[in-house]
Amino acid sequence: MIEFRGVNKWFGALHVLRDITLSVEPREVVVVCGPSGSGKSTLIRCINGLEAINDGALVVDGQRLGDRTTNMTGLRAEIGFVFQAFNLYPHKTALENVTLAPIHVRKIPRAEAEASGREMLAKVGLADKFDTYPAELSGGQQQRVAIARCLCMRPKIMLFDEPTSALDPEMISEVLDVMVGVAEEGMTMMVVTHEMGFARKVAQRVVFMDAGAIVETGTPEEFFADPKTDRSRAFLSKILRH
Amino acid sequence: MLENFSFRTIAEYLPLFGNGFVATLWLSIVSFAGALAVGTLLCAMNLQRSQVLKLPAKIYIDAIRATPLLAQLYFLYFGLPRLGIVLPELFVGILALALNSGAYIAEIIRAGILSISRGQVEASVASGMTYSQRMRLVILPQAVRVTIPPLLGQAIVLVKDSALLSLISVAELTRAGQLLASDRFMPAEGFITTAACYLLLYYALKSLAVLSARWLGVRPIRVRA
Repeated sequence: MIEFRGVNKWFGALHVLRDITLSVEPREVVVVCGPSGSGKSTLIRCINGLEAINDGALVVDGQRLGDRTTNMTGLRAEIGFVFQAFNLYPHKTALENVTLAPIHVRKIPRAEAEASGREMLAKVGLADKFDTYPAELSGGQQQRVAIARCLCMRPKIMLFDEPTSALDPEMISEVLDVMVGVAEEGMTMMVVTHEMGFARKVAQRVVFMDAGAIVETGTPEEFFADPKTDRSRAFLSKILRH
Repeated sequence: MLENFSFRTIAEYLPLFGNGFVATLWLSIVSFAGALAVGTLLCAMNLQRSQVLKLPAKIYIDAIRATPLLAQLYFLYFGLPRLGIVLPELFVGILALALNSGAYIAEIIRAGILSISRGQVEASVASGMTYSQRMRLVILPQAVRVTIPPLLGQAIVLVKDSALLSLISVAELTRAGQLLASDRFMPAEGFITTAACYLLLYYALKSLAVLSARWLGVRPIRVRA
């Protein structure tokens, strides 16, 4: 579903992705972790073309990114992206947020889009917030709207860029619960997160990155119990100390 | 002091001021509409990545903002006929105001668009929207809200700048004041009436802004981190 083959990327002189080779199968959930600045966000931002790769090949849903024949807007419609800062449209209600792209990108009739939008918002526990504006929602509620906004596009892939990092602690689990639900329905997911509980529960693989390279890959059980490299051990000891 | 002030003369000249008021009002509206068009076009050019459109827009905006409106007006009024282009003075006046205000409006709109956070662009890109859908559905509706107050400010400036058109004998408000001043040697009466009329226009514009804000459904936009 997602295949990186020898991908490199530079920001000026900074080598942010080093020779990345990684393949994600349909229905697989992959958690990406690593220290700040290790390139995890850049890695998943490349998948929907928010960042361009400089070298190597990246094939998503059978289409090679950067090819002239690849229809990027069409491909992006198939990929949901959840941001750390939610990025809801502040001038739109929750329901308008989740129906905007289905109506204008998918060309679904408004009534139909609104029906499935209501259903999706109810599913993430926001049945009473259809007409509420983002500014009036808590962080956890905003992030759940953002996830519903992606799901309303019926995507093939969902990408999450530190979805709980901007949340107050008491709101993290309501968002993770929704993400677990999405994973259990068989969505192909890549999730940048340090939430170990989430990784243990639904991820098939954990990818550990440092300094732009993939240092270690393994099942959550292997990775958390028995990290193979010094760098992953050092990282885990820092995040698990408390 | 007021015994020398002739309200009667003002009353006598009211029809003249009425005509001037109407003239200032409609030529300002036409100029502002033109300025919006010029400003939108310039802003669109200025936001392009390619220098082919960006550079001319930048040079134009700088040139307009660096030079006095009076010089621009005189160039169009006295200069163009020497180059073989003869236009009626009213048209020249409106053209000068639209071209001048357009440069300022281009920067106002640009600031409005750039004030929309990067995250809004990324969210709409990620959802598969095209450039024009992003602009129409996400960026511009938010930009319009932050743009209204400075645009209103620019409209008020334009109304006051239109006084310069009296210098090329357009029969507007300031011209009416000048006529009263010179016909009857009553500059105080003439220009206080002119000023009062501008004040009226100012309040009209202000209430228009309040109405348009309500019509656009402006709500406080607060973005949480």
